[in-house]
Amino acid sequence: MPRVFITGLGFITSIGNDAATVTRNLRELRHGFEVYPPFQQPEIPVKVIGTIKGFTTDSPDPEDWTFPAAYKIKRELLRTMAPNGLFAHCAMLQAVADAKLTEPDLSNPLTGLYAASAGSPYLLHYHNNRLNKVGVMRCSPLGIVASIAGTLNFNLIAAFKIQGASCGFSSACASSAHALGYALDDLKLGRQKRMFVVGAEDGNVDAILPFAGMRTLSLQTDPNLASRPFDAARDGFVGTGGGVALVLETEDEVVRRGVTPYAEVLGWGQASDGWNVAISHPEGNGSAAAMTNALRASGVAPENVDYVNAHATSTLIGDISEARALRAVFKDAATRPAVSSTKALTGHGLSLAGAMESAFCALALREGFMPGNAHLTKIDPECGGLNILRATENTPPDLVIKNSSGFGGANVALVFKRVA
Amino acid sequence: MPDAVSPNQGTTKPFPPTPKPFTPEDETALREALKRCSPSAFEAAVQFRKTGNPEHVPAVVIGVIERFVEPDLRMKLKDADDDLRLIEDLGIDSLTMMEIVILVEDVLQMTINNDELRNLRTVGDVKTFIDCKIRGLTLPKPTKFIPIEHIGSVMPVQPPFLFLNEASVSSTAANGKYKISGQEFFLQGHFKDNPVMPASIMLEAMGQLAVLYLLEGAPTEPGKVVSPQTIFFTGCEGVRAHRICKPGDILSLSIKPKRMKMPLATFEGAIRVGQEKAVIVEEITLTFGLVDAVDAPVPINGTAAQSAVAAPVTVAPPLRVAINA
Repeated sequence: MPRVFITGLGFITSIGNDAATVTRNLRELRHGFEVYPPFQQPEIPVKVIGTIKGFTTDSPDPEDWTFPAAYKIKRELLRTMAPNGLFAHCAMLQAVADAKLTEPDLSNPLTGLYAASAGSPYLLHYHNNRLNKVGVMRCSPLGIVASIAGTLNFNLIAAFKIQGASCGFSSACASSAHALGYALDDLKLGRQKRMFVVGAEDGNVDAILPFAGMRTLSLQTDPNLASRPFDAARDGFVGTGGGVALVLETEDEVVRRGVTPYAEVLGWGQASDGWNVAISHPEGNGSAAAMTNALRASGVAPENVDYVNAHATSTLIGDISEARALRAVFKDAATRPAVSSTKALTGHGLSLAGAMESAFCALALREGFMPGNAHLTKIDPECGGLNILRATENTPPDLVIKNSSGFGGANVALVFKRVA
Repeated sequence: MPDAVSPNQGTTKPFPPTPKPFTPEDETALREALKRCSPSAFEAAVQFRKTGNPEHVPAVVIGVIERFVEPDLRMKLKDADDDLRLIEDLGIDSLTMMEIVILVEDVLQMTINNDELRNLRTVGDVKTFIDCKIRGLTLPKPTKFIPIEHIGSVMPVQPPFLFLNEASVSSTAANGKYKISGQEFFLQGHFKDNPVMPASIMLEAMGQLAVLYLLEGAPTEPGKVVSPQTIFFTGCEGVRAHRICKPGDILSLSIKPKRMKMPLATFEGAIRVGQEKAVIVEEITLTFGLVDAVDAPVPINGTAAQSAVAAPVTVAPPLRVAINA
């Protein structure tokens, strides 16, 4: 089976809109949180999100949006986008340029695209309201493709003239990790030679606030304290949006095009908790099984793993489950791999998280560092027995695991390797 | 159940609507809906909503179309030629067409059905269509594309004296093409060793297009059709030739009806070669007669038969509208 490499990245995230800025913020543990103006009402106790800088997408009309002038997007494309579509489109443009892909490289039967977003609750809500207000036959003809789950893949496939495999993935916060795993399979099986993997989320009121009902959102008003994965004082996750794109290519293509990859994607694994619709398994059974499957598929022994980019979102139950899963997988060597959750810096990107944090792993592997777990004052004793990084280590990791978990108890683990 | 009322009956609106009072809230909503259109389109929409006067409709429709056309193509709308094609010339796809329709519906407070949309190919089609809807008139027949075989079968003129290779006919205009092959018999003598298409033949070609319009596009009385045996030339005015046309040139012919009153039909016409003006005729007048539809030659396809029966009752208004628009 062909080896598969990551050859291009694009970022629109709360900690930066290009690879250089993101790398610096990961190294220096600078977060992307701000007090979010739409939340500043007495009846909304949630105050902070990971904001996307340089973009305004708070109108339901894409022609009202503003975004950096470097991105030229025609109305014909913009009109069917949700905010997450805009973020992802910009990230795709970056990734295409970063991987030095030409137009024929994009549009051919062996180049595909897998994407994940939750759709746009904001636009769905808006268009359905409008339908009720102005009548069935006068609702926007573009409302559906701009808002339903799948809007991200619809738009990107059309805009980038993708001719190969295409699909949207929907496993909540594991979605874009699933997308990356299945993209890897398609490349390993020889079905495709190049795959784009894209995750994106609106990260606005309608995308984030519904999680308040579950009491999973942090109510911290101080952006510096809001997201604290594995910390004893954590009180929930901080939401964020954005878009991240990765380019995966087979070895043949990497050689043919003469590009330098970020990292090799060795393998992946998944497993489900079989437990609860929204609560993670208390022992982290599914997450542990996903990691074990991923390591076996990659031919890697647990003791060889250097760094784990944890799913840990800063929720009370979830972080403990994952800590238990890590101890179960790494056993006596549990303190061997460094562990951190970069959600302490970005916030939780939901469907975006898996792709965003995989791209962070790719940066860490190429640049030779392991980002610390920011905002950690006192490690929750329940999360003990692990080597959770308090600061960034400038030691180059060789083998990295990325964990992702989603509603329903879906768990994905991805294994990346440094390119020697 | 005598009390049962169809749920739709209560919501059926009379059409054309008597203008409802135009409130400040309506104006705010209208301004929001047309915020990316020209100020003149907004002003026309306000006037229409206040008065119900259809004179304001074309400015609204053009303003809405313009807003959805890519900026580099908008210049084409400035000279507002009714023959401008939505898809080919303005790059409007079916999704954009739906955006246009819904904005027009919203702004003019009207309803456009799916099947009515299929026949709208040109800016003129859209303007005429909406005008007819507002005035409560029967819609004109859609533009028909007529291939050479069909032209030959309906026209009283036949080769070697037929100067149309293809044509399209709507209720407001007809367009045709003729390629000068060089094999035309008269070119042997016109002129010696220098074949030039005679201006008189080019006038004839425009006349033939007008004949095709009368047979295929002109609105007639119910149950009647124009008889091919009754059409003859009566006169023309303001003929000017601007360009020598030679073998290899493709003549683009167009005619538009100016007046129709039994038994006379008057057209204006033009021939172009590419972008160059070749011949202009200010007026070309034909005489024609009607026969009962049942006595008419059997039309070649079923749609023609249907449209002949369902032909619009009112002749003049849609025509006048189209010409004014």
